[in-house]
Amino acid sequence: MLNVLMLGVGQCGNRILDAINREAFGGGGAAKLAKYYLRPKFPSRVETLAINTAINDLKELRFTTAKDRMHVANLHGVGANRNVGKQAFMDNRDMIMGEIEKRGDFDIAFVITSTSGGTGSSFSPLLINELKRQYRDITVITVAVLPFREEGSLYLQNAAFSMRELMEVDAEGIILADNQYMKRFSGDIASAYDKINNMIAKRLLFLIESLDSEMLSVTDLGDFKTVMNGGLRIGTMGFYQADSKNLSIKDAIENSLKPVNLLYPANVADDAARAMIIIQGSRELLDVDEITKEVERLSASAGHVFKGIVVKKGRPKVLSVFTVASAPELESIYAQAARGMQDEKEKRSRARKQLDDAFAHIEDLEEIY
Amino acid sequence: MRRLVYLLLYILLIQAAHAKEASDNNDEVTFKDFTLNIGDRIDLGDYQMELIEIQSVRDGLVVMRVSKVGGSLDEQRALLLDSPNNFDGGAENGGITITVADIFDEQSAKVRIEYQQILGTPRKRASERPAAALDKPELSVQKSFDKNQMSVGDEVKVTITVKNVGTGQALGIKAEDIPPLPEFTYVAGYPPKIKETLDSGQSDSAVYVMNAVKEGSIRVPAILVSYADAKKNAKSNSSEPFNILIRPKSKADLAIKLACYAPIVLDGKGMLNISISNLGTASATRIEADGTVMPSVGLQVTGLGKSFFEILPGADVNYSAKLSGQKPGNYTIRLKVSYDGGDGSVIREGTAEVVVLEREYKYQYLLLIIPIAIITAWMYRRYREYKY
Ligand SMILES: Nc1nc2c(ncn2[C@@H]2O[C@H](COP(=O)(O)OP(=O)(O)O)[C@@H](O)[C@H]2O)c(=O)[nH]1
Ligand SMILES: [Mg+2]
Repeated sequence: MLNVLMLGVGQCGNRILDAINREAFGGGGAAKLAKYYLRPKFPSRVETLAINTAINDLKELRFTTAKDRMHVANLHGVGANRNVGKQAFMDNRDMIMGEIEKRGDFDIAFVITSTSGGTGSSFSPLLINELKRQYRDITVITVAVLPFREEGSLYLQNAAFSMRELMEVDAEGIILADNQYMKRFSGDIASAYDKINNMIAKRLLFLIESLDSEMLSVTDLGDFKTVMNGGLRIGTMGFYQADSKNLSIKDAIENSLKPVNLLYPANVADDAARAMIIIQGSRELLDVDEITKEVERLSASAGHVFKGIVVKKGRPKVLSVFTVASAPELESIYAQAARGMQDEKEKRSRARKQLDDAFAHIEDLEEIY
Repeated sequence: MRRLVYLLLYILLIQAAHAKEASDNNDEVTFKDFTLNIGDRIDLGDYQMELIEIQSVRDGLVVMRVSKVGGSLDEQRALLLDSPNNFDGGAENGGITITVADIFDEQSAKVRIEYQQILGTPRKRASERPAAALDKPELSVQKSFDKNQMSVGDEVKVTITVKNVGTGQALGIKAEDIPPLPEFTYVAGYPPKIKETLDSGQSDSAVYVMNAVKEGSIRVPAILVSYADAKKNAKSNSSEPFNILIRPKSKADLAIKLACYAPIVLDGKGMLNISISNLGTASATRIEADGTVMPSVGLQVTGLGKSFFEILPGADVNYSAKLSGQKPGNYTIRLKVSYDGGDGSVIREGTAEVVVLEREYKYQYLLLIIPIAIITAWMYRRYREYKY
């Protein structure tokens, strides 16, 4: 049995964590009542903890127990200022780590955060370092959410810097989710968030469940670590559940890699470094030969592909996890961020100059009364 | 010349007036009215006029006697109402004229005397002898029942009393008590017979007996007595009519009330109170009460049967029966009471519903409340767990 720690940091991280808890209650509307009589049903021993400097963000949660919400008191919050956020983390490090330590030992930790906010983006790199220090053998996976591009230059800048830090820390890898990419799911922001959060939650739970199951083909935490270590150590996940009209396992695998089912725009054929395909379904639907053939076909373009098969009654479900060797989308974010920062800098010096010119008018004058 | 004629006429007129005045003083005829009772007398000069008798009120005949001191006139004459009668040649000729102006009754009449003033002033002298015994019988009649309220079947005695409260003998008395009332049968003495003749102050009575046969309020008609006085004047009188009430036949009327105040718990005991009251007007006798229970098993009743010798009208008897419930359900207890109500045997019934309850599970509600409380507490705990 795996010991899993799930940390949601900042508003975005908190809400995805809440979606995970909701999913553990069965998801959907039923979860609203289920929390009154059920315990969240996790495949493994899962501990969740929502960390935030904004108490209102914590209050907003519905499916995370009160004791799993930790408020890190900071005088004025952090704004979107990552430096203030870092300071706040360092000031409260012992308390935060103490709260985690209380929850026991862990094999794997997921740190879920947005890259562009203040709290999550600044806490997460530091938090990962602390986790690595505190738990020798822990595998840490960052789940990082990229902003909508139109959210402003400050968010882009935060995303750029925090991504760099996240890539530099000693974590096993980053799973990217791009709000911009998934924005097409819904018209309004709130329901787009819900949709995105649910997608992430579902994939993560499926992943945990699979890693903790007896698989026909050997795929375990070690394999997962190997996949996450590949390429840029940046990856994403795809998921597909076959519908009753088409139960073909081959189609299901292909569908799980299609852009619509990915959290981040990546081309498996061109960009993938390593991949892992986890297939779940009724035994009679799982044609091992076909799976093997499909996996081999994938390996031709995507380097090494691990496959895991979990026999469980139901229509075939496929989760694909892969890391990429190149991330063009990320590059464009950096370019955009840099442009934004450049513009900002220019604007500032222009403004400074204008002000200096204005001051020039009174340069040799004294105040007269 | 003309003046002379006037003068002459004037003298003539004066003389005529003088002449008239002179004759007025001497032989002018005048009159005076008197009301006389029998025996009363009027004196005028030498004349004496006495009312002797009212011979007939109906025919207007009055007998008067006119005499003159010295005996030159002594005449008794029957005078007809409203016709003048002359004595000694009448008033015009120095005598007197008497006219009966009105007859009040058998005792008195109004009389007018005409006379010449020189005779003097007439004076009435009331009769010195006591008024002659009058012949004026008067019968009072009374009809009475010995009770004015009775019931069908009751016997009632009717008394007719006739009394002569007048003067003089009443003759040919006839009492007519008809028609017979349909609400009664006449047992004896009807029609009542009264003596034919009753002297003044005498009375007679007759009694007859009837039996009330029909209920109702009845106006008893007057009884009429007809009679005549000595002069054959026919008279009659009647009693006052009055009302009597005949109630329905008096009977005993038993009402039965059964009361069981609370349901009986299973294997528990209860009490059935029985009250038999006589709402009738006669005593009920030989009362026998006995009861049945439906359904016949499951409710045991003891002490339901009972007998009493008599229940007076307006009285009641009470007793109670013991109940013991052996099976839950609804039971009907029927009490049959037979008695003699006055004319034959009567049966009355009363019923009561008795419920024997299911066994009570006192703490049953806890079965509901405890789980609800547990669930509520549980959910509240959960709520608190997720409340931040
Ligand atoms: N997918 C997703 N993104 C979110 C959600 N909430 C906020 N974000 C994104 O997170 C970024 C802001 O970071 P946030 O977590 O609110 O800041 P923090 O609380 O200071 O860490 C923006 O780019 C938002 O688009 C959410 O519920 N789901
Ligand atoms: Mg926010």
